[in-house]
Amino acid sequence: MSVSPRRLRVGAIALAALAIASSTACSAGGSGGNGDGGSAKTLTVNTSFVLKTLDPGRIYEATGLTAVHSLYDTLLTFEGSDVSKPVPALAESFEASPDAKTFTFKLREGVKFSDGTALTADDVVFSLNRLKNVKASPAVMVSGLTFAKTDERTVVVTSATADPNIPVVLAMPSTGVVNSKVAKEHGATDAADAAKSDTAQQYLDTNSVGSGPYVLKSYDPSAQVVLETNPNYWGDKPEFSRVVLRNMDVQTQKLTMQRAGGSEIALDISGKLLEGLPGSLKTSAMQDTVYFLFLNADPAVSPVSSNAKFNQALRAAIDYEGIAGLYGKGAAPGAGLVAPAYPGALPAEEQSKRDVAKAKALLTEAGLTNPTVKFNYPAITYKGVDLGTVATKVQGDAAEAGIKLELTPQPLTTFLDEMRTGKMALGFTPQSLNYPVADSLINNMSPGQATALRSGWTVERADPAVVAAGKKVTETLDLAARAAAMQEWQRAMNAASPYVVLASNSSTVVASGDLTGTDYTAAGWQVDLAAVGRG
Amino acid sequence: MTTTVDDAEPGAVTTTVSRPRPRRALLVFLLKRVAITAGLLLGVTIVTFGLVTVVPGDPVTANLSDQALNDPAAVAAFQEKWGLDQPLYVQYFQYLGNLLTGDLGISQQTGRTVADDLFQYVPATMELAIPTMVLALLIGTGIGMLAAVRNGRVTDQLIRVGALLGLSTPPFWLSLVVLYVFFYQLGLAPSGGRLSTDFSPPPTKTGMYTVDAALAGQWDVAWDAAQHLILPVLVLTSLTVAMLVRFVRSSMLEVLQQDYIRAAYAKGLPARVVFRRHLLRAGLVPVITVSGLAFASLLSGTVLVENIFGWPGLGQYAYRSATALDLPAILGVSLFVALVYTLVNLTVDLLYGLIDPRIRLS
Repeated sequence: MSVSPRRLRVGAIALAALAIASSTACSAGGSGGNGDGGSAKTLTVNTSFVLKTLDPGRIYEATGLTAVHSLYDTLLTFEGSDVSKPVPALAESFEASPDAKTFTFKLREGVKFSDGTALTADDVVFSLNRLKNVKASPAVMVSGLTFAKTDERTVVVTSATADPNIPVVLAMPSTGVVNSKVAKEHGATDAADAAKSDTAQQYLDTNSVGSGPYVLKSYDPSAQVVLETNPNYWGDKPEFSRVVLRNMDVQTQKLTMQRAGGSEIALDISGKLLEGLPGSLKTSAMQDTVYFLFLNADPAVSPVSSNAKFNQALRAAIDYEGIAGLYGKGAAPGAGLVAPAYPGALPAEEQSKRDVAKAKALLTEAGLTNPTVKFNYPAITYKGVDLGTVATKVQGDAAEAGIKLELTPQPLTTFLDEMRTGKMALGFTPQSLNYPVADSLINNMSPGQATALRSGWTVERADPAVVAAGKKVTETLDLAARAAAMQEWQRAMNAASPYVVLASNSSTVVASGDLTGTDYTAAGWQVDLAAVGRG
Repeated sequence: MTTTVDDAEPGAVTTTVSRPRPRRALLVFLLKRVAITAGLLLGVTIVTFGLVTVVPGDPVTANLSDQALNDPAAVAAFQEKWGLDQPLYVQYFQYLGNLLTGDLGISQQTGRTVADDLFQYVPATMELAIPTMVLALLIGTGIGMLAAVRNGRVTDQLIRVGALLGLSTPPFWLSLVVLYVFFYQLGLAPSGGRLSTDFSPPPTKTGMYTVDAALAGQWDVAWDAAQHLILPVLVLTSLTVAMLVRFVRSSMLEVLQQDYIRAAYAKGLPARVVFRRHLLRAGLVPVITVSGLAFASLLSGTVLVENIFGWPGLGQYAYRSATALDLPAILGVSLFVALVYTLVNLTVDLLYGLIDPRIRLS
């Protein structure tokens, strides 16, 4: 039998294609990060993107915070997972006035932006004023502050009211210092009307103009953000020359980590999803999220939820241990409104406990027989937990005490919108802090404050002891004493507030076994990418 | 659409026997369609604007942090920036005015122009939709015909059960199963995304990585991008094939029962000739309609599949925009989808004439 040259050619091509396919298919088994497991310098970070911008003046979402922390230096920062004490970054030192109203920062010498130009006090003042005047989500943190330079290396931050937490605020990624000259060339302004006149976001989303350990290589808010090392960085060079933050569904993150060949991180595997992970992976977690119920204190909205005895009966009816079990590994029954990750949290022994007999007795005292309340919650899965499952458990627990809760799941935006109207009788929501200062809760959740008013909780309707406990926190300037005051405030809140803390849950970093420095931090940036190394 | 018949073959629709000039008829037809499309797009903008205002939820709440919501200055700044402080009709006419100059507005989610977003996300979805449709048409048509020819036999029964299973399978579940088997267990394909993290996207020409990488001569990137297509295309093809099989089968069965097919067999024509000349042409006309709609559906967004595979396409963009009540983006996607459906319908109508010469446009 003779074989034609054409057939031979086709056969050869087919064999070659097969060989390439089989060899590549083997490497395709990895997630695409570092199939070689050794020499590559790419760190892959898998996360479900919550990303709108990389403009430090507008940054608020988790994925963006992680990236921006590596792109822009801040005056101070946090090291590893310790969020109790800010440490020097751009500022080599700082001084606070005794009244906690004036903070003076001395800038580090020799810091350059990624384009090689020197970072000055003018850049710091411009960046902070821009943050304040752009009036995006993070501006609230600095709304009462003024910024000025006294010389080329000194920046003074002044607060209208005493606030010992200003150093913490100045460690947040949104206070990252931008190269003011380049930013201005692309539409940035720190003027009072910056909310309207600043047009730099589109440029800052695709170009970084900072002095951090990385520079932005590419930005796609739906797919991936790529960072590369900043050749002009003043500090230690990061281990990985390239970091890819990749958008990935939570379930896919778990499968990917189970097959990870090396140098991969996942940021959203938490709770029940942690079960079954190989022992070769490293897990770092901190309880930084609190899940709580809020009852409306306005009798016009609901005579039932506003009844103090009903409030206490519902607290007593809930099986806190059982609810924590729904969250899986890393969760704990509720104690106070401050999550355990932050200074000022209540100790574990003060976790709430169930007492159904007490709940029934309280209902009798309240004169309520089989009370019915509409129970709203956002129909979402948050950090691996379906809120509907938790709501159903609360409903079941309450029913055992004779309380009927009518479950009302809502799309998130609808829930938030209705919550703002203050007409919700009973609601359920998770809460994480925007920055690691727990006493920011005082300004939101104390009676008469904006969040409290959404539950109809005015100063007039509140127990004076709660108001006094909140006042004591804000008047205490020593941070350790302030944390103790926060604990007292939470005890007062547990006794007489419209909030019922159900559980606290962990946020987690799952990393491949070859990595070091992958501690989860509650500082906002989840993991310090520049600190990740190979062990 | 009016159909005319210039061939008195049995089974054809008989409405008129006039024979209009083909080019003029086509021109009139196209002009009518352009006018209808313009009206349709205008309608889409009105309906979308209306819907966004009646659905519960406020763009300010959806886009600002809880703390910022407590700051009236931050709320006012957001409303002013996005024109939300204007009456709805003013917002609408401003949008319409900008639209006439080709300006689709700026997305509140991405901070980029909606046009830029569409130019980025549509090609990503096209890269999934094109191979899916090619494969689905080849496989679905073949299997559907086989089922029709084997009507009532075991093969037909198996195909029908398979198609039913395919149609009943939730896309996200199938995506997870495929991931588990082919990525996790067998390691035959990557888990998600458009490229491995060791690669950078090729220079943009079409927005489709496989094509762009090939055009740039980056064969390793093209191969890597092609591998990332495997699993999402597999899922989408399975679902599309299931739908096509049922249509092809029923369409073919209908034609097989026509008298002229029996007559053709009775005249002694070979089966392949009957198949090519009569069965294929008549049976494929309704299939074209379904294929067109399936393609439009793939382009307008396969949210769950894109989400599971981390595919940054139009589906994900639409979902994110809707949940954030990002009106410019929602309007941009709606207009694009309406345009796609219009163009697909137009293409389908034109293809009718090509596939079955008995059908003419007038």
